[in-house]
Amino acid sequence: MTYDWAVVWENAALLWKGTQVTILLAAMTMAIAVPGGIVLALMRLSSIRVLSIASASFVEFFRNLPLILVIYTAYYVLPVATGLRLSPIATAIVALSLNVSAYNGETFRAGIASIRHGQSEAGYALGMSRFRVMIEVVLPQAVRRVLPVLASTWVSLFKDTSLVSVISVGDLAFESMRVRSQTFRVLEMLTAMAIIYWMLGYPQAKLVDWINSRYRVSE
Amino acid sequence: MIEPRKTGPAVSEQIPVVAYRNVKKMFGAFAALAGVSMEVREGEVVCLIGPSGSGKSTLLRCTNGLELIDSGEIVLDGARMPQDWSGMRKLRQRMGMVFQNFELFPHKTALGNVMTGPITVLKQPRKMAERKAIELLTKVGLADKAASYPAQLSGGQQQRVAIARALAMDPEIMLFDEPTSALDPETIGEVLNVMKQLAEEGMTMVVVTHEMTFAKRVGDWIVVMDRGIIVEQGSPDRIFDAPTKERTRDFFSHLGWSA
Repeated sequence: MTYDWAVVWENAALLWKGTQVTILLAAMTMAIAVPGGIVLALMRLSSIRVLSIASASFVEFFRNLPLILVIYTAYYVLPVATGLRLSPIATAIVALSLNVSAYNGETFRAGIASIRHGQSEAGYALGMSRFRVMIEVVLPQAVRRVLPVLASTWVSLFKDTSLVSVISVGDLAFESMRVRSQTFRVLEMLTAMAIIYWMLGYPQAKLVDWINSRYRVSE
Repeated sequence: MIEPRKTGPAVSEQIPVVAYRNVKKMFGAFAALAGVSMEVREGEVVCLIGPSGSGKSTLLRCTNGLELIDSGEIVLDGARMPQDWSGMRKLRQRMGMVFQNFELFPHKTALGNVMTGPITVLKQPRKMAERKAIELLTKVGLADKAASYPAQLSGGQQQRVAIARALAMDPEIMLFDEPTSALDPETIGEVLNVMKQLAEEGMTMVVVTHEMTFAKRVGDWIVVMDRGIIVEQGSPDRIFDAPTKERTRDFFSHLGWSA
Protein backbone atom coordinates (compact mmCIF):
# COMPACT_ATOMS: atom_id res chain seq x y z
CA MET A 1 0.00 0.00 0.00
CA THR A 2 1.36 3.40 -0.93
CA TYR A 3 0.63 6.60 0.88
CA ASP A 4 0.01 9.87 -0.80
CA TRP A 5 0.31 12.63 1.83
CA ALA A 6 0.05 15.27 -0.86
CA VAL A 7 -3.73 14.90 -0.61
CA VAL A 8 -3.57 16.49 2.84
CA TRP A 9 -1.63 19.55 1.62
CA GLU A 10 -3.81 19.91 -1.45
CA ASN A 11 -6.86 20.13 0.78
CA ALA A 12 -5.25 22.17 3.54
CA ALA A 13 -7.58 25.13 2.95
CA LEU A 14 -10.61 22.89 3.34
CA LEU A 15 -9.25 21.36 6.54
CA TRP A 16 -8.48 24.85 7.87
CA LYS A 17 -12.05 25.90 7.14
CA GLY A 18 -13.33 22.78 8.93
CA THR A 19 -11.12 23.50 11.90
CA GLN A 20 -12.52 27.00 12.17
CA VAL A 21 -16.07 25.65 12.12
CA THR A 22 -15.19 23.14 14.85
CA ILE A 23 -13.77 25.89 17.06
CA LEU A 24 -16.76 28.12 16.32
CA LEU A 25 -19.20 25.33 17.23
CA ALA A 26 -17.51 24.63 20.56
CA ALA A 27 -17.16 28.31 21.45
CA MET A 28 -20.74 29.22 20.52
CA THR A 29 -22.12 26.20 22.36
CA MET A 30 -20.21 27.05 25.53
CA ALA A 31 -21.21 30.73 25.24
CA ILE A 32 -24.84 29.59 25.38
CA ALA A 33 -24.47 26.63 27.73
CA VAL A 34 -22.66 28.46 30.55
CA PRO A 35 -25.40 31.05 31.13
CA GLY A 36 -27.90 28.30 30.26
CA GLY A 37 -26.44 26.08 32.95
CA ILE A 38 -26.54 28.89 35.52
CA VAL A 39 -30.19 29.61 34.73
CA LEU A 40 -31.03 25.88 34.99
CA ALA A 41 -29.22 25.66 38.34
CA LEU A 42 -31.00 28.73 39.74
CA MET A 43 -34.35 27.35 38.55
CA ARG A 44 -33.54 23.99 40.13
CA LEU A 45 -32.67 25.59 43.48
CA SER A 46 -35.65 27.96 43.35
CA SER A 47 -38.38 27.60 45.96
CA ILE A 48 -40.92 27.88 43.13
CA ARG A 49 -41.81 24.25 42.47
CA VAL A 50 -42.75 24.64 38.82
CA LEU A 51 -39.35 26.10 37.95
CA SER A 52 -37.53 23.46 39.94
CA ILE A 53 -39.38 20.59 38.29
CA ALA A 54 -39.03 22.10 34.81
CA SER A 55 -35.28 22.41 35.28
CA ALA A 56 -34.88 18.91 36.69
CA SER A 57 -36.89 17.44 33.81
CA PHE A 58 -34.85 19.32 31.21
CA VAL A 59 -31.56 18.21 32.74
CA GLU A 60 -32.53 14.56 33.15
CA PHE A 61 -34.00 14.45 29.63
CA PHE A 62 -31.01 15.82 27.74
CA ARG A 63 -28.33 14.36 29.96
CA ASN A 64 -29.56 10.84 29.33
CA LEU A 65 -30.07 10.92 25.57
CA PRO A 66 -27.24 10.13 23.14
CA LEU A 67 -25.97 13.38 21.69
CA ILE A 68 -26.21 12.06 18.14
CA LEU A 69 -29.92 11.39 18.65
CA VAL A 70 -30.44 14.98 19.81
CA ILE A 71 -28.56 16.22 16.75
CA TYR A 72 -30.63 14.13 14.33
CA THR A 73 -33.83 15.10 16.08
CA ALA A 74 -32.97 18.79 15.98
CA TYR A 75 -32.21 18.47 12.28
CA TYR A 76 -35.24 16.48 11.15
CA VAL A 77 -37.92 17.22 13.73
CA LEU A 78 -37.30 20.81 14.81
CA PRO A 79 -38.20 22.40 11.42
CA VAL A 80 -41.37 20.30 11.13
CA ALA A 81 -42.42 20.83 14.73
CA THR A 82 -41.71 24.55 14.99
CA GLY A 83 -41.67 25.73 11.39
CA LEU A 84 -38.27 27.18 12.16
CA ARG A 85 -35.74 26.72 9.37
CA LEU A 86 -32.25 26.94 10.76
CA SER A 87 -28.97 26.47 8.93
CA PRO A 88 -27.16 23.20 9.72
CA ILE A 89 -24.63 25.12 11.85
CA ALA A 90 -27.36 26.83 13.87
CA THR A 91 -29.15 23.48 14.27
CA ALA A 92 -25.91 21.91 15.46
CA ILE A 93 -25.39 24.69 18.00
CA VAL A 94 -28.95 24.25 19.30
CA ALA A 95 -28.47 20.51 19.74
CA LEU A 96 -25.05 20.83 21.38
CA SER A 97 -26.30 23.64 23.64
CA LEU A 98 -29.25 21.59 24.88
CA ASN A 99 -26.91 18.76 25.82
CA VAL A 100 -24.13 20.82 27.36
CA SER A 101 -26.54 23.17 29.20
CA ALA A 102 -27.98 20.12 30.93
CA TYR A 103 -24.51 19.04 32.07
CA ASN A 104 -23.56 22.57 33.11
CA GLY A 105 -26.83 22.91 35.02
CA GLU A 106 -25.87 19.96 37.20
CA THR A 107 -22.34 21.31 37.57
CA PHE A 108 -23.49 24.74 38.73
CA ARG A 109 -26.14 23.25 40.99
CA ALA A 110 -23.49 21.20 42.78
CA GLY A 111 -21.21 24.24 42.91
CA ILE A 112 -23.85 26.50 44.43
CA ALA A 113 -24.90 23.83 46.92
CA SER A 114 -21.28 23.45 48.03
CA ILE A 115 -21.09 27.05 49.29
CA ARG A 116 -21.92 26.90 52.98
CA HIS A 117 -25.01 28.67 54.24
CA GLY A 118 -23.04 30.96 56.54
CA GLN A 119 -21.75 32.79 53.47
CA SER A 120 -25.30 33.65 52.41
CA GLU A 121 -26.14 34.69 55.96
CA ALA A 122 -23.18 37.07 55.99
CA GLY A 123 -24.66 38.68 52.87
CA TYR A 124 -28.17 38.83 54.36
CA ALA A 125 -26.74 40.34 57.56
CA LEU A 126 -25.41 43.23 55.45
CA GLY A 127 -28.94 43.79 54.18
CA MET A 128 -28.53 42.18 50.75
CA SER A 129 -31.52 40.69 48.94
CA ARG A 130 -31.55 37.01 47.99
CA PHE A 131 -30.70 37.99 44.41
CA ARG A 132 -27.78 40.19 45.52
CA VAL A 133 -26.43 37.42 47.75
CA MET A 134 -26.56 35.00 44.82
CA ILE A 135 -24.80 37.41 42.43
CA GLU A 136 -22.34 38.94 44.85
CA VAL A 137 -21.51 36.11 47.25
CA VAL A 138 -22.57 32.64 46.12
CA LEU A 139 -22.14 32.53 42.34
CA PRO A 140 -18.60 33.97 42.20
CA GLN A 141 -17.46 31.30 44.63
CA ALA A 142 -19.48 28.53 42.96
CA VAL A 143 -18.09 29.38 39.51
CA ARG A 144 -14.51 29.26 40.79
CA ARG A 145 -15.21 25.95 42.44
CA VAL A 146 -16.63 24.33 39.29
CA LEU A 147 -14.14 25.85 36.85
CA PRO A 148 -12.16 22.58 36.55
CA VAL A 149 -15.37 20.68 35.75
CA LEU A 150 -16.39 23.28 33.15
CA ALA A 151 -12.96 22.99 31.59
CA SER A 152 -13.31 19.21 31.29
CA THR A 153 -16.75 19.67 29.77
CA TRP A 154 -15.20 22.03 27.23
CA VAL A 155 -12.59 19.46 26.20
CA SER A 156 -15.27 16.77 25.78
CA LEU A 157 -17.45 19.19 23.86
CA PHE A 158 -14.59 20.09 21.54
CA LYS A 159 -14.31 16.48 20.44
CA ASP A 160 -18.05 15.79 20.48
CA THR A 161 -18.66 18.57 17.96
CA SER A 162 -17.46 16.00 15.37
CA LEU A 163 -20.87 14.32 15.74
CA VAL A 164 -22.55 17.20 13.92
CA SER A 165 -20.89 16.09 10.69
CA VAL A 166 -23.86 13.72 10.37
CA ILE A 167 -26.09 16.66 9.49
CA SER A 168 -23.55 17.96 6.96
CA VAL A 169 -22.17 20.80 9.03
CA GLY A 170 -18.79 21.59 7.47
CA ASP A 171 -16.70 21.01 10.56
CA LEU A 172 -13.26 19.38 10.62
CA ALA A 173 -14.69 15.84 10.68
CA PHE A 174 -17.10 16.52 7.84
CA GLU A 175 -14.51 18.14 5.57
CA SER A 176 -11.97 15.39 6.24
CA MET A 177 -14.51 12.74 5.37
CA ARG A 178 -15.52 14.61 2.25
CA VAL A 179 -11.93 14.69 1.00
CA ARG A 180 -11.65 11.00 1.82
CA SER A 181 -14.71 10.08 -0.20
CA GLN A 182 -13.49 12.09 -3.17
CA THR A 183 -9.89 10.83 -3.12
CA PHE A 184 -10.26 7.43 -1.41
CA ARG A 185 -7.25 8.40 0.76
CA VAL A 186 -8.73 7.01 3.98
CA LEU A 187 -5.64 6.55 6.09
CA GLU A 188 -4.09 9.87 5.14
CA MET A 189 -7.22 11.84 5.94
CA LEU A 190 -7.92 10.00 9.21
CA THR A 191 -4.34 10.64 10.27
CA ALA A 192 -4.53 14.31 9.35
CA MET A 193 -7.81 14.64 11.25
CA ALA A 194 -6.37 12.88 14.29
CA ILE A 195 -3.32 15.13 14.33
CA ILE A 196 -5.38 18.31 14.07
CA TYR A 197 -7.85 17.27 16.80
CA TRP A 198 -5.00 16.12 19.01
CA MET A 199 -2.94 19.26 18.52
CA LEU A 200 -5.93 21.40 19.40
CA GLY A 201 -7.10 19.14 22.23
CA TYR A 202 -3.82 18.48 24.01
CA PRO A 203 -3.04 22.10 24.98
CA GLN A 204 -6.62 22.43 26.19
CA ALA A 205 -6.29 19.35 28.37
CA LYS A 206 -3.05 20.75 29.77
CA LEU A 207 -4.83 24.02 30.42
CA VAL A 208 -7.49 22.11 32.36
CA ASP A 209 -4.76 20.53 34.50
CA TRP A 210 -3.36 23.98 35.16
CA ILE A 211 -6.77 25.39 36.06
CA ASN A 212 -7.27 22.43 38.37
CA SER A 213 -4.16 23.23 40.32
CA ARG A 214 -4.67 26.99 40.19
CA TYR A 215 -8.24 27.02 41.46
CA ARG A 216 -8.02 24.24 43.99
CA VAL A 217 -10.37 25.23 46.79
CA SER A 218 -8.62 27.04 49.56
CA GLU A 219 -10.42 28.49 52.54
CA MET B 1 -5.48 40.21 79.17
CA ILE B 2 -8.61 42.35 78.88
CA GLU B 3 -8.35 45.50 80.96
CA PRO B 4 -11.56 46.96 82.37
CA ARG B 5 -13.24 49.59 80.21
CA LYS B 6 -12.24 53.17 80.71
CA THR B 7 -15.60 54.73 80.06
CA GLY B 8 -18.97 53.53 81.15
CA PRO B 9 -22.16 53.81 79.13
CA ALA B 10 -24.50 56.70 79.47
CA VAL B 11 -27.23 54.57 80.98
CA SER B 12 -30.40 56.61 80.95
CA GLU B 13 -34.14 56.50 80.93
CA GLN B 14 -34.32 56.62 77.13
CA ILE B 15 -36.24 54.08 75.12
CA PRO B 16 -34.23 50.92 74.49
CA VAL B 17 -32.53 50.36 71.12
CA VAL B 18 -33.86 46.82 71.16
CA ALA B 19 -36.55 45.39 73.39
CA TYR B 20 -37.53 41.72 73.47
CA ARG B 21 -40.99 40.96 74.79
CA ASN B 22 -41.88 37.37 75.56
CA VAL B 23 -40.02 36.13 72.47
CA LYS B 24 -40.64 32.49 71.56
CA LYS B 25 -38.96 30.44 68.87
CA MET B 26 -39.54 26.76 68.14
CA PHE B 27 -37.35 24.43 66.11
CA GLY B 28 -39.81 21.62 65.49
CA ALA B 29 -40.86 20.50 68.96
CA PHE B 30 -37.81 22.09 70.59
CA ALA B 31 -38.33 25.47 72.24
CA ALA B 32 -35.12 27.34 71.49
CA LEU B 33 -36.58 30.46 73.06
CA ALA B 34 -39.36 29.91 75.57
CA GLY B 35 -40.42 33.47 76.38
CA VAL B 36 -37.51 35.89 76.60
CA SER B 37 -37.90 39.50 77.72
CA MET B 38 -35.05 41.98 77.99
CA GLU B 39 -33.87 45.36 76.80
CA VAL B 40 -30.73 46.75 75.25
CA ARG B 41 -30.14 50.47 75.81
CA GLU B 42 -28.08 52.85 73.77
CA GLY B 43 -24.34 52.57 74.36
CA GLU B 44 -24.80 49.47 76.46
CA VAL B 45 -22.83 46.23 76.11
CA VAL B 46 -25.11 43.30 76.87
CA CYS B 47 -23.38 39.93 77.22
CA LEU B 48 -25.42 36.76 76.75
CA ILE B 49 -23.87 33.84 78.59
CA GLY B 50 -24.96 30.31 79.38
CA PRO B 51 -24.38 26.71 78.34
CA SER B 52 -24.49 25.63 74.68
CA GLY B 53 -27.99 25.17 73.37
CA SER B 54 -29.39 27.64 75.87
CA GLY B 55 -30.77 29.92 73.13
CA LYS B 56 -28.18 32.74 73.20
CA SER B 57 -27.26 32.49 69.53
CA THR B 58 -30.88 31.97 68.52
CA LEU B 59 -31.85 35.17 70.32
CA LEU B 60 -29.10 37.03 68.49
CA ARG B 61 -30.13 35.58 65.12
CA CYS B 62 -33.76 36.50 65.77
CA THR B 63 -32.64 40.07 66.46
CA ASN B 64 -31.67 40.64 62.84
CA GLY B 65 -34.17 38.25 61.36
CA LEU B 66 -31.88 35.43 60.27
CA GLU B 67 -34.47 33.45 62.23
CA LEU B 68 -38.08 34.60 62.47
CA ILE B 69 -39.78 34.38 65.86
CA ASP B 70 -42.98 32.45 66.46
CA SER B 71 -44.55 34.75 69.02
CA GLY B 72 -43.84 37.75 71.18
CA GLU B 73 -42.17 40.78 69.68
CA ILE B 74 -38.84 42.43 69.09
CA VAL B 75 -38.93 46.22 69.07
CA LEU B 76 -36.21 48.23 67.37
CA ASP B 77 -36.12 51.94 68.27
CA GLY B 78 -39.72 51.79 69.37
CA ALA B 79 -40.97 50.08 66.20
CA ARG B 80 -42.10 46.47 66.20
CA MET B 81 -39.97 44.43 63.81
CA PRO B 82 -41.98 42.83 61.00
CA GLN B 83 -41.53 39.08 61.00
CA ASP B 84 -41.18 38.70 57.25
CA TRP B 85 -38.16 38.46 55.01
CA SER B 86 -38.46 41.69 53.03
CA GLY B 87 -39.35 43.90 55.99
CA MET B 88 -36.45 42.43 57.89
CA ARG B 89 -33.99 43.21 55.10
CA LYS B 90 -34.26 46.97 55.61
CA LEU B 91 -33.78 46.60 59.36
CA ARG B 92 -30.75 44.36 58.96
CA GLN B 93 -28.92 47.23 57.32
CA ARG B 94 -29.06 49.03 60.65
CA MET B 95 -27.47 46.15 62.58
CA GLY B 96 -23.97 44.77 62.21
CA MET B 97 -23.43 41.06 62.74
CA VAL B 98 -20.20 39.23 63.47
CA PHE B 99 -20.22 35.45 63.12
CA GLN B 100 -18.36 32.74 64.95
CA ASN B 101 -16.76 31.52 61.71
CA PHE B 102 -16.06 35.05 60.39
CA GLU B 103 -17.79 34.30 57.08
CA LEU B 104 -15.61 36.71 55.17
CA PHE B 105 -16.15 36.45 51.41
CA PRO B 106 -13.11 34.40 50.30
CA HIS B 107 -13.14 35.78 46.74
CA LYS B 108 -12.77 39.38 47.91
CA THR B 109 -9.81 41.10 49.55
CA ALA B 110 -10.06 42.49 53.07
CA LEU B 111 -10.82 45.87 51.52
CA GLY B 112 -13.36 44.32 49.13
CA ASN B 113 -15.11 42.61 52.03
CA VAL B 114 -15.45 45.86 53.96
CA MET B 115 -16.67 47.76 50.88
CA THR B 116 -19.26 45.18 49.81
CA GLY B 117 -22.12 46.34 52.04
CA PRO B 118 -21.86 50.08 51.32
CA ILE B 119 -21.51 49.52 47.56
CA THR B 120 -24.13 46.85 46.94
CA VAL B 121 -26.69 47.74 49.62
CA LEU B 122 -26.24 51.46 50.32
CA LYS B 123 -25.24 52.17 46.68
CA GLN B 124 -22.38 54.37 47.81
CA PRO B 125 -19.90 55.58 45.20
CA ARG B 126 -16.84 53.35 45.08
CA LYS B 127 -14.38 56.07 46.09
CA MET B 128 -16.39 56.98 49.16
CA ALA B 129 -16.82 53.33 50.22
CA GLU B 130 -13.12 52.72 49.73
CA ARG B 131 -12.08 55.69 51.87
CA LYS B 132 -14.41 54.53 54.65
CA ALA B 133 -13.18 50.94 54.35
CA ILE B 134 -9.53 51.96 54.70
CA GLU B 135 -10.45 54.04 57.71
CA LEU B 136 -12.17 51.06 59.31
CA LEU B 137 -9.33 48.64 58.52
CA THR B 138 -6.98 51.15 60.17
CA LYS B 139 -9.27 51.25 63.18
CA VAL B 140 -9.07 47.46 63.62
CA GLY B 141 -5.31 47.58 63.04
CA LEU B 142 -5.23 45.99 59.59
CA ALA B 143 -4.56 48.85 57.18
CA ASP B 144 -1.55 46.94 55.86
CA LYS B 145 -3.71 43.90 55.04
CA ALA B 146 -6.22 45.72 52.81
CA ALA B 147 -5.08 43.82 49.71
CA SER B 148 -4.90 40.42 51.42
CA TYR B 149 -7.44 37.69 50.84
CA PRO B 150 -9.08 36.04 53.86
CA ALA B 151 -7.11 32.82 53.28
CA GLN B 152 -3.90 34.81 53.80
CA LEU B 153 -5.02 36.14 57.20
CA SER B 154 -4.98 34.56 60.65
CA GLY B 155 -8.28 33.83 62.39
CA GLY B 156 -7.96 36.90 64.58
CA GLN B 157 -7.21 39.10 61.60
CA GLN B 158 -10.16 37.66 59.68
CA GLN B 159 -12.49 38.36 62.57
CA ARG B 160 -11.24 41.94 62.81
CA VAL B 161 -11.92 42.40 59.08
CA ALA B 162 -15.40 40.95 59.71
CA ILE B 163 -15.96 43.56 62.43
CA ALA B 164 -14.85 46.30 60.03
CA ARG B 165 -17.21 44.90 57.38
CA ALA B 166 -20.13 45.14 59.79
CA LEU B 167 -19.13 48.65 60.92
CA ALA B 168 -19.02 49.83 57.29
CA MET B 169 -22.83 49.86 57.30
CA ASP B 170 -22.82 52.42 60.15
CA PRO B 171 -24.96 50.17 62.32
CA GLU B 172 -26.92 51.39 65.34
CA ILE B 173 -26.16 48.16 67.11
CA MET B 174 -23.56 45.40 66.74
CA LEU B 175 -24.39 41.74 67.27
CA PHE B 176 -21.54 39.35 68.07
CA ASP B 177 -22.22 35.61 67.86
CA GLU B 178 -19.43 33.90 69.79
CA PRO B 179 -16.83 36.00 67.97
CA THR B 180 -13.82 34.33 69.57
CA SER B 181 -14.98 30.71 69.82
CA ALA B 182 -13.28 29.65 66.59
CA LEU B 183 -10.01 31.43 67.32
CA ASP B 184 -6.63 30.22 68.49
CA PRO B 185 -6.06 31.34 72.08
CA GLU B 186 -3.26 33.71 71.07
CA THR B 187 -5.48 35.71 68.70
CA ILE B 188 -8.52 35.99 70.97
CA GLY B 189 -7.10 39.03 72.74
CA GLU B 190 -6.73 41.15 69.61
CA VAL B 191 -10.40 40.63 68.73
CA LEU B 192 -11.63 41.31 72.26
CA ASN B 193 -9.56 44.48 72.38
CA VAL B 194 -11.18 45.78 69.20
CA MET B 195 -14.58 45.00 70.72
CA LYS B 196 -13.64 46.79 73.93
CA GLN B 197 -12.53 49.81 71.92
CA LEU B 198 -15.93 49.84 70.20
CA ALA B 199 -17.67 49.67 73.56
CA GLU B 200 -15.64 52.61 74.83
CA GLU B 201 -16.69 54.61 71.79
CA GLY B 202 -20.28 54.09 72.84
CA MET B 203 -21.37 51.38 70.37
CA THR B 204 -24.45 49.47 71.47
CA MET B 205 -23.51 45.80 71.48
CA VAL B 206 -25.06 42.41 72.16
CA VAL B 207 -22.37 39.79 72.62
CA VAL B 208 -22.88 36.05 72.89
CA THR B 209 -19.70 34.87 74.52
CA HIS B 210 -17.93 32.27 76.59
CA GLU B 211 -15.23 34.78 77.55
CA MET B 212 -16.23 35.46 81.13
CA THR B 213 -13.38 37.89 81.72
CA PHE B 214 -14.56 39.98 78.79
CA ALA B 215 -18.18 39.83 79.96
CA LYS B 216 -17.22 40.89 83.45
CA ARG B 217 -14.91 43.73 82.48
CA VAL B 218 -16.52 45.12 79.36
CA GLY B 219 -20.17 44.14 79.76
CA ASP B 220 -22.66 46.55 81.33
CA TRP B 221 -25.42 44.03 81.65
CA ILE B 222 -25.13 40.27 81.88
CA VAL B 223 -27.91 37.94 80.79
CA VAL B 224 -27.65 34.31 81.84
CA MET B 225 -29.65 31.94 79.64
CA ASP B 226 -30.47 28.28 79.95
CA ARG B 227 -32.94 26.10 78.03
CA GLY B 228 -34.51 28.97 76.18
CA ILE B 229 -35.19 31.24 79.12
CA ILE B 230 -33.34 33.97 80.98
CA VAL B 231 -32.22 32.52 84.28
CA GLU B 232 -31.19 35.88 85.67
CA GLN B 233 -29.84 39.21 84.49
CA GLY B 234 -28.03 42.04 86.15
CA SER B 235 -24.86 44.07 86.39
CA PRO B 236 -21.59 42.15 85.98
CA ASP B 237 -20.72 42.59 89.65
CA ARG B 238 -24.09 41.23 90.71
CA ILE B 239 -24.05 38.23 88.36
CA PHE B 240 -20.42 37.22 88.67
CA ASP B 241 -19.90 37.98 92.35
CA ALA B 242 -23.29 37.17 93.78
CA PRO B 243 -25.35 34.98 91.43
CA THR B 244 -28.69 34.24 93.03
CA LYS B 245 -29.77 31.29 90.90
CA GLU B 246 -28.56 27.74 91.27
CA ARG B 247 -28.29 27.30 87.50
CA THR B 248 -26.01 30.31 87.19
CA ARG B 249 -23.74 28.94 89.88
CA ASP B 250 -23.76 25.52 88.17
CA PHE B 251 -22.78 27.13 84.88
CA PHE B 252 -19.93 29.06 86.47
CA SER B 253 -18.64 26.00 88.26
CA HIS B 254 -18.68 24.01 85.00
CA LEU B 255 -16.56 26.72 83.46
CA GLY B 256 -14.21 26.63 86.42
CA TRP B 257 -15.10 30.25 87.06
CA SER B 258 -14.96 31.11 90.74
CA ALA B 259 -17.06 34.04 91.77
